[in-house]
This record gives sequence, structure tokens and C-alpha cells, in this order.
Amino acid sequence: MDASLPQEFSELVRFMDQWALPTQSERESVRRNTTQQERQAFYDAVTPRLDAIIARLDRFPLDAMPEDARRLLHLILSLAEIAPTVELYRGSATVPYSFDETRFIAVHGDRHD
Amino acid sequence: MKPSNGKHSLWAELYPELGTEPIPTDRCFSPEYYALERERVFKRVWLKVGRVEEIPEPRDYKVKRVEVANTSILLVRGDDGQIRGFHNVCSHRGNKVVWGDDTYGLRQRARGRAFVCHFHGWTYNLRGELVSVPQAELFFDLDRCANGLTPVATDTWNGFIFINLDPDPRQGLKEYLGGAGERLEGFPFEQMNRIYEYYTVLNCNWKIALDAFSEAYHVATVHAGSFPGVFDAAVKQVGMHGPHHSGAAFQKPAPNPGPVAKLSYSLATSSIAKPGSRSSLPPSVNPERDPEFVFDQTNIFPNYMIDVSDGLYFTHQFWPLSIDKTLWEGIQYFPPARTAGERFSQEYGQVLQRNAWLEDTGTMEATQIALSSGVKKVFHFQDGEIMLRHSYKVIEEFISRA
Repeated sequence: MDASLPQEFSELVRFMDQWALPTQSERESVRRNTTQQERQAFYDAVTPRLDAIIARLDRFPLDAMPEDARRLLHLILSLAEIAPTVELYRGSATVPYSFDETRFIAVHGDRHD
Repeated sequence: MKPSNGKHSLWAELYPELGTEPIPTDRCFSPEYYALERERVFKRVWLKVGRVEEIPEPRDYKVKRVEVANTSILLVRGDDGQIRGFHNVCSHRGNKVVWGDDTYGLRQRARGRAFVCHFHGWTYNLRGELVSVPQAELFFDLDRCANGLTPVATDTWNGFIFINLDPDPRQGLKEYLGGAGERLEGFPFEQMNRIYEYYTVLNCNWKIALDAFSEAYHVATVHAGSFPGVFDAAVKQVGMHGPHHSGAAFQKPAPNPGPVAKLSYSLATSSIAKPGSRSSLPPSVNPERDPEFVFDQTNIFPNYMIDVSDGLYFTHQFWPLSIDKTLWEGIQYFPPARTAGERFSQEYGQVLQRNAWLEDTGTMEATQIALSSGVKKVFHFQDGEIMLRHSYKVIEEFISRA
């Protein structure tokens, strides 16, 4: 899969295969199936670039993005998915003291972003 | 309205008719009480079953299993644009005409302009009329006009589709909603068509689930993970509207978000963790435009909640499946994001809200098991749990009407 990114974000290419995922179901699954260290490394690499990534992506209409920009959007949607695990849940992949999340059926889960 | 004299006042002083006594717990595990609720509550009121955006065009349909009334409901948009509701039962031998338990938010379209029963091919048009019976000549005095699909009272309010299982509803929908509906008029529900919908079966009585979402007292404990120090523990702006009620959640000053959360909030046009500065709220909601306001909840009796915030809304519904099983549907509605930044912010807010719902549902099944021991005879509701108290009282009123 072509994981090319604009030169300014080339250090994030290594995360693309695992984290640039087009559906929420896939992003939830990766959250559950990664280690705390993997999530932290992804968070630490992408968070400082978030402003710049959004500024770059905001140049395009949401429904007419070039493919590499769309995949970059998918990457930061994965950041949105795991940021609470780092910022709120002390590294836990799942929400502490909560219902079994696999029992929540998401009607929108396979919707492509 | 709450007195605005700056002094603390109890909701009980404002609504003395609701009393302050403990409430019996067996209403949540007694089969007799469940049977009464089924007959005298759920079969006599307007029940929300969908949104018009789910069936936007002629020939679109939605199936909804309404277990508490032992029926399946078929909602159809006709060629004339009108939405009609029917019991999904064939007039021949009672087969289910359109299969599936529930189409949820996924759009379905009828083939052609008809529904064909897959047992003997009886065919109904989009108005529920019986238009074709194979080998009709073999039937005895079969009046096709009298054997269409049995209609169910169906109406819409601000894009929400309701049915009433009473063959002769006592009130129209608008009258039933009364002040609860009036106060939400003007909120741009129809603009919020980017939807995130969850459902699951909770192994608890429907009221256990409803109660858990109807007060702010739980937030400091249940949401210590997702919303630490974010929300005020006291429910605000409580209002009673006939069988319905409303209340608002306020934030505490100076939450301390992490970097991703912080950026998400700064970009947000819609997040309950960060109130917007634009106001799409109707005048009756947060009437004094208190800046600490986060969202307003209207509980439409018996089992539907509409929560509005500046720039988004979300809903909860609790369908009884049995005395200790409930189909919960939690839906978040956003306006479509216009930019990548808004899209990111929306995703963050939506994920966080989902996580909060995982926290909310986390206690319910254990509560049901513990309650069913029968050891604790009463619930003790504090002043801020007045919405729960009102709900139990209204159920009792309906049950007492034979």
C-alpha cells in the first residue's frame, strides 16, 4: 500500500499501515489490539504535529480530498480514538470500570470516513 | 422555574407534589408490575420509533420490533411523501410481512411499490392496502379493502416519528408532548444528520437504565475516567411538563484537558465537553444563557430522552424486552463537519461520549442482580434525583387508570 505523505510529515509514514484506518470499527480494534507502548509512541509522534496536519488538511474540501490527505485524516482519527487512553485512562486500552465494549453495536462502525 | 434569589433551594420545595419518600424497588423486578407497565403505559402513549431522515424518500421503510407490545412495526414513506405505520402482520395467516427485527438507522427501500409476504405472496402497497392475493377465487367472501395491513397511529414532531399502540389514542402527538415539545421547538434537529448510533441489550429493567441517565449525582464517580472534574454534581433547571420532565447539566469551572482534548475543544463546533459560544438553543433551554450550561435533557415519558447542546444533540431510548432485559439505543447527532479540523474534533467528542456511555452502562446489570435479591425494599432518592422520582410517580398514575 502506498503510504506516501507530504515531505513535512515523512516521519509519520511508519505509522500509516497500522493506524491510517478508514472506519471506526477498525480504529477501535487497533486500540484494543496494541500495547500501551505502541499507543504511547503513536500519540507522542503525532500529537505535536496535529496543528500542522490539520492546517494542511483544511486546505481541501472534506468530500474531495486527495488520497494521501485522506489517509492522513484517517491517521489523526486514530489519534482521536486513542488519545483518551493516554490522557485520561492512564494507558488502559479500554475504559476503566465500564461495560464490555464489544457488546456495543455501532450501526456506523463500518462507515468509511 | 427555579427561584433566582441566589439561595440554595431544594427541588422538593418547588415540586412538593412529588413527595420525598423512598420508592419501592420491586417495581424493577416484579413480573406483575412489568405486565401492568406493558398494558397501561407502553400501549397507551406516544413512543418515538425513528427519525424522518431514516426514510427520506417514497418507498423507504423501517422495521421496528416493539417487544413490549409483542409486535413489529413497519414505517413506510408513501408515494405521496406521507409516513404511515402498520403492524407488520399479514392478514392471511399472521406471518411477518417484512422480515428483520429492526433496521436501525440503515435505509431500506421497498422493491417496486409493494411488500410481498413470503409465505403465500399476499401483496400490500405502500399505503398498506392489500392489492394482490394469489388464487383469490379460492377464498370465501374475502374483502380485500378490509384486510390491508393493520395501521398504527403514526405522527411526526420536528422530524421525530412516533407511534401510539392505543387503537384510539387519547391525545394527539403534539398535545401529548405538550410543554416538553414546545420548549425544544426551533432546535435545528434536521441539520444534525451525521449520526453515530449504538445499541445493545442490557440485562436490566428498563427503568434501571433510564434512571442511571437521569441525574448528575453519578458523574463524579461513574465518569471519573472520561470527565474528571468536568461536571457539576447537581442537576439544574429542572422542569416538569405533564408526564415529561427536563433538567440540565452544568460544568465546573477550569477543567484541565490534555493536549489532544484541548485542541479538539478549541476546534469544536460540537462537543458536550466544551460548550460552544454560538447558540442554536431555543429560548426555553438555558433561558438565562448561563455560561456553565453544557446540555439539557428532556425525558419524554416513558422511555425516550432528547439531550440538546449547542451544536449537537443525542438521544437515549430504553425498550423493555422483559422484566430484566432492555434494548438500549444511544444515538449522537452532529451537523456534518465542514473541515478536517471539525471532523477531527467531532471524532474526539464522539469517542469520548461513547466512552462515557460505556461507563454509564457499566453499573446497570450489577444493579439489577443485586436488586433482585429483594433485600433492599426501597430506593432512597436525593433531591437531585427528582427526575427519577417523577418518572416512578407518572408510571403509577398510568397504572392506576384501569
